[in-house]
Parts: sequence; C-alpha cells; structure tokens
Amino acid sequence: MKRDHQETIGKKAESSSSSVDTGKGKSWFEDDQDAGGGMDELLAVLGYKIKSSDMADVAQKLEQLEMVLGSEDGISHLASDTVHYNPSDLSGWVQSMLSECNNLPSTDLDSSFLLSSNRDSLLGQPPAITSLDFSSNSHSKVFTDDSEYDLRAIPGVAAFPQQEFDRSNDRKRMKLTPIGSNIAPAPSANSLQSPTASSTSSSSPQAMAVSGTLSEPTRPIVLIDSQETGVRLVHTLLACAKETQEENLELADALVKRIGLLAASQTGAMRKVATYFAEALARRIYKISPQDYRLDSSCLDTLEMHFYETCPYLKFAHFTANQAILEAFANASRVHVIDFGLKQGMQWPALIQALALRPGGPPAFRLTGIGPPQPDNTDALQQVGWKLAQLARTIGVEFEFRGFVANSLADLDAEMLGLLPPEVEAVAVNSVFELHRLLGRPGGIDKVLGCIKAMRPKIVTVVEQEANHNSPVFLDRFTEALHYYSSLFDSLEGSGLTPRSQDLLMSELYLGRHICNVVACEGADRVERHETLAQWRTRLDSAGFDPVHLGSNAFKQASMLLALFAGGDGYRVEENNGCLMLGWHTRPLIATSAWQLAAGDSQQ
Amino acid sequence: MEGNVKEKRPKFCVNDHVDILMEILKRLDGRSLCVSACVCRLWCTIARNDSLWEHLCFRHASPPPSSGVRPVIVALGGYKRLYMVCVRPVLSRLGRLRIAGDSDRARKVWTRDGVQLSLSLFCVDYYERLGRLGGGGDASGGSSLMFLCKPVNV
Repeated sequence: MKRDHQETIGKKAESSSSSVDTGKGKSWFEDDQDAGGGMDELLAVLGYKIKSSDMADVAQKLEQLEMVLGSEDGISHLASDTVHYNPSDLSGWVQSMLSECNNLPSTDLDSSFLLSSNRDSLLGQPPAITSLDFSSNSHSKVFTDDSEYDLRAIPGVAAFPQQEFDRSNDRKRMKLTPIGSNIAPAPSANSLQSPTASSTSSSSPQAMAVSGTLSEPTRPIVLIDSQETGVRLVHTLLACAKETQEENLELADALVKRIGLLAASQTGAMRKVATYFAEALARRIYKISPQDYRLDSSCLDTLEMHFYETCPYLKFAHFTANQAILEAFANASRVHVIDFGLKQGMQWPALIQALALRPGGPPAFRLTGIGPPQPDNTDALQQVGWKLAQLARTIGVEFEFRGFVANSLADLDAEMLGLLPPEVEAVAVNSVFELHRLLGRPGGIDKVLGCIKAMRPKIVTVVEQEANHNSPVFLDRFTEALHYYSSLFDSLEGSGLTPRSQDLLMSELYLGRHICNVVACEGADRVERHETLAQWRTRLDSAGFDPVHLGSNAFKQASMLLALFAGGDGYRVEENNGCLMLGWHTRPLIATSAWQLAAGDSQQ
Repeated sequence: MEGNVKEKRPKFCVNDHVDILMEILKRLDGRSLCVSACVCRLWCTIARNDSLWEHLCFRHASPPPSSGVRPVIVALGGYKRLYMVCVRPVLSRLGRLRIAGDSDRARKVWTRDGVQLSLSLFCVDYYERLGRLGGGGDASGGSSLMFLCKPVNV
C-alpha cells in the first residue's frame, strides 16, 4: 500500500509543477551519486529525497494524508491545488499538504500526532488535548497507547472505527474531531467521539473519577443519529462488561466514562437503564461495594411500596398466588398461610376479603410472616400483623398472626412454626421473590425446600423473576440483565405516569438496587440470583414437588388487572404449562407457579 | 282547552314522595347521581343513601353478588366509596377495551371476576388507609397477635 501511495503522489506531484520533472531528473542522478548521504535508496530511485531516519515519520504522514484525502469530500482538490515548493522533498510536501488541511475551518488534526515542535508551529493549533502529547508525560503515553490499541481490538465499529491500513503498535492513529463541522460528515469522522472521552481518561489516570460528563465545553461532540448512538451504547456496555470480566480495568474504566457520554444522548428508559448499569459497572471496577442490603430494609420497603403502586408486577404476583391459595383452601375450616417475605403484607387483605366472601363462610385464618431483622429494632412484623388483624376484624374473619425474624430463610425449621396436623389445618406456603436469594448459600435452597416439605403444605406458591441472572459467567449475566431490565424500564415508561412523578422515581430506584446487586456484587452479597421458570421447575421437581395448574380464574383476574393499568396494552399474561407469566410485549418478566407435595410424599 | 290544562295542573311535587325519588335516582349513572346530589339539601341527603350506590355498583353485574357481600363492603367503607374508588375506574377502563360491536351493552355487563377484582382492590385500599393513619398505640385489639419469636441459630 505504501507503494501505491507513492505512485499516486508521484503522479500528483508531476501534475503540479513542470519544474518537478527536471528536478526529478536531476535528483535521480544526484541521488545515485549521493547514496551515502543517508537518503533512502529505493525512494531515491523514484526521485524523492527522504532521509532514512525520517522514513517512519513520512510514512505516517502519508497515511494521514491518505485518510484525509480519501475520506473528506472537498479536500481532494488539495492534491492538485496545493502549491508544492519542493516535491522531491516528500516529507516537506506531505507536511505542507497537511497544513493546508489544517487550515480548513472544519477539520482539525490531533496535535499530539506530530512529534516535533516544528510541526506544531506549522499547525498553529493550540494543543487542546494536551494530555495526549507524547513529549510531556511518558506515563500517559503508555496509558493511552494501551487503551487506544485495545479499543480497536473490540470488534465492530462501535468502540473504534476500523482503519484501513496496517499499523505498528507504538504509533498513535490520527483522529479527526469535527468542530461544528459544516461539511458533509465523513463516516470515519462522525463516529469519533473517542477523543474527548479518552482524553479525559488519560488526563486523569490516577483520578479514577466516574464522571462521564463533557469536560471540555469548547469541543462539542456532534452526535449524528440517536438510534445509532443507542446501538453504540449497547455495544459499549457489553464491551465494558467483557473488559471487566477479563480484568482489563483501565480499559473498562475508559469505557464506563464513554457510556456516560453516550447515555446523555438518549432519552427515557434507555438512558436510565444505561445509567444504572454504568454505575453498577463502575462499582464493580473500583470495587466499591454497595451499601449493605440489609441495613436499609425499611427504605427498601418504601421503595417497594412505590413499585407496587406504579406497575402491576407485584399486584399480579399477589393476585395470582392468592387465587391458587384460595382454590386450595376450598373446603378447609382452618387455614394457615406462611409468608416467606411479609414486608408490608400487601398480599393478604385481598385474600382475607376473598375468604370472607367464600360461599361456605370464612375459615379461621392464621398467618405466619417471616421478615429480616430491622436495624433500629422496631417490630415491623408486629405492626403489619396488627393492621391485618384490624382488617380481619372489620370484615369478620377470625385471624391470628405470628411473626418470625430471620436473617435468612435457611435459618428456619418447621417445628418452630407450631403447625397443627394437616387434618386440622390446611397449610399454604407463599414465596414472592424470596427463593432466589437462597441460591447464594451452598445448600440453602435444599434446606428450605426440605423445610417446606416438612410443613406438609397443601399448596406452595412461588413467584420469581423470569430471567437467568445466576450464570457463573459475568458477561452472560450482564447481557441477560441488560435485556431484562431494559424491558422492565420500558414498561415503567409506558405506564403513563408523568415523567418525574415520585412513584416512578422510587420504582426506578428500587430496580436500580437490583441491577447494582446483580452486576456489582459477588459471592454471598449477590442475593439477586434470579433463575428462569424452567430452572425452578427442575429444581422443585427434583425436590419432590408436583406442579399445580393455576386455573382460568387466575388468568382472567390477571388479565383484567392488567387492563386497569394505563399501559395495559403493553402487558401480556401468558399461560405456560399451568404457570402464569406476566410480560411486557413479547418478553415475560415474572412467573407465578403453584406446587404441591408429590404423591408419594404426602402419605408421610 | 288551555284553561282546562291550567286548572288540572297537578300539585305533585316529587320531593314529597321520597320513595319515588329514590326509584328514579336508582336508575341514574354515577355522574348524574353526583350531579343530583348538588340540587338541593333533600336530594343531597337522599343521594348519600348507600343503597342507591349499591344499586349503581352492581346493577349490571351478572351474576349479582351474594348478600354476604354487603356487610363486608359496608365495613370497608360503604358502597359510595366502593364506587368512587374501585368500580368507576374499573368499569371505565374495562369499557374502553370493548369498543367494537354493541359497546353500550357490553360495557355495562361485568362478570364475577370483575366484581371480585373490584372488591379486592377496595380491600387493599382500606388496608392502605389503615397504614396511613399510623400504626396506632392501641394494642387491645391485638389479642390475636402472638408474641414474636426470634430463632436462635445464626
């Protein structure tokens, strides 16, 4: 390719000035005799005087020039219009071409490219990206070299557009930064928002601040296409996750900042999702662990209440589980429900009311609620129990409540609960978004399932997120989570609430905490280990449970419930082998299933 | 002829016949019922009568809910509140969906599931109101609450 360069330039040089020919001829002969003067011999044959020591520089500049000429419309005239004073001096010729380019108002060459002060003065550009100036700081040179090289290694045009020509490792490539370009944007030029991002990252190699904002307002970034940047945003998120997984933390850091910039160009759900994921990635990269999940469980309850109000997921979960429990309790006169995660007890008023209106009259209803310890030692469980008791008394249902405080469900034993034999009282176990937390502890889930079996329940209702966020490979987890939470945030957007309503904000915060946990935490801290319905089915099946089909009543109620919500047409209820799934458009998001003891076990 | 009409003008005033008035008001839709409550004091008092609202709520429910429903609803806040908080939004949103065909009829008939859903939401509303009034210091109603046990093992 270099030869091609030289030939085309040779032709252009020929056309520019007639004196060239004679000059060439002269120099040929001169060079032949002057071979010992340090001139490159091969080029000398063609008539160009280039010192061997300058070869590399000249080659570099030729590449720059080719890029400029080849890509920018309207500059190709330079080839013929530029006045060359000494075409045989290839280096000087190329330099003058470059300075011509530079004087055009719309394009600017990266000053860091040019290694000698001579060229800097020719360019006359203030080195705005000072940190990329090699002569100043060798540390930053090493830093940026790595990142630049690796950014190119990422496949696809997202992270860094591909250059056509070959490269050697220690050369920086030229970047064009359009400054309010009024020429038709060239494909290579418009996608280069990297300079500002990488310059901010290299300018503060030690200060790893996660600020993705534009630090240089004098260099506006021209973002051409919001959809294109949306795609780029997703690519960058995935690239950053991959680099984080491979422990290339500096590169990942640069990418995280880029995500911040790109996210600013988006609106709505995509922007919020990207922001939360970027924050979680940053926490993972810098190993800042999020606040202890358990400490602010009261805050979490508040957030969850807002989430309950805003969108139908929790309501769907409660209503479908209640329907299954109601059908299982059809003829029982004493019933006992064990709730693995009582929280605010929002599920139970509807059940109590349904029991009150049961054709044969209400049974005696006993509720055991399990919850985490409160940091300020208030008895949240007792408060909830009191409210439910008041409700039950109002409606006329005999009610009893008991609360258990436990750090983890695996701490429980069936004997603690004081269960009566199944002939006397029908037991139901209810778990809404609780079982997946046990997957972090080895043996946790098995112990709990065994405990459930020991309770001899009539029915077990399980509601879980329909996603696999528990893969051992971080990148898989990340990708799944990205898709899942994008759908979830989309549905929040579609819920018709005014953009900055408090409910919406709180719901997003609630989900943001989950995102943080999935992405940034590891080991015992990572409690949000969601698994798909198929995985839960296998697990419960092998633990000795048989599935119970949720009836059409549940389906109809669920459909009606969804119709009430403002974004109702986006939500979909699906029936999947007896289980109900609620999804946003085509993506199922949560799944309710019901189980009973397998036939062999119930005889014990 | 005209003189006859004038002489035979009835001295009938519907306000004297509250039961007839009730029968008429029973057949109104929710909005009209609210408007009628603004006519005069008598009408306002009558419109507060819960049986009117009961009729309004479940007029088009098929099958009609059982009689056991009433004490529950009354305890949870009454039919008027049920209508305002649950039935009206449910009906209007569900009605929006059935656009095609005989929309008027279709909108008004609603099934047991719809009734059940409204009741459930009403109950949830009551429960949330309980919460807003504060936890309350009155423990005398809490005899059904057993003391909380804390498990010992870690």
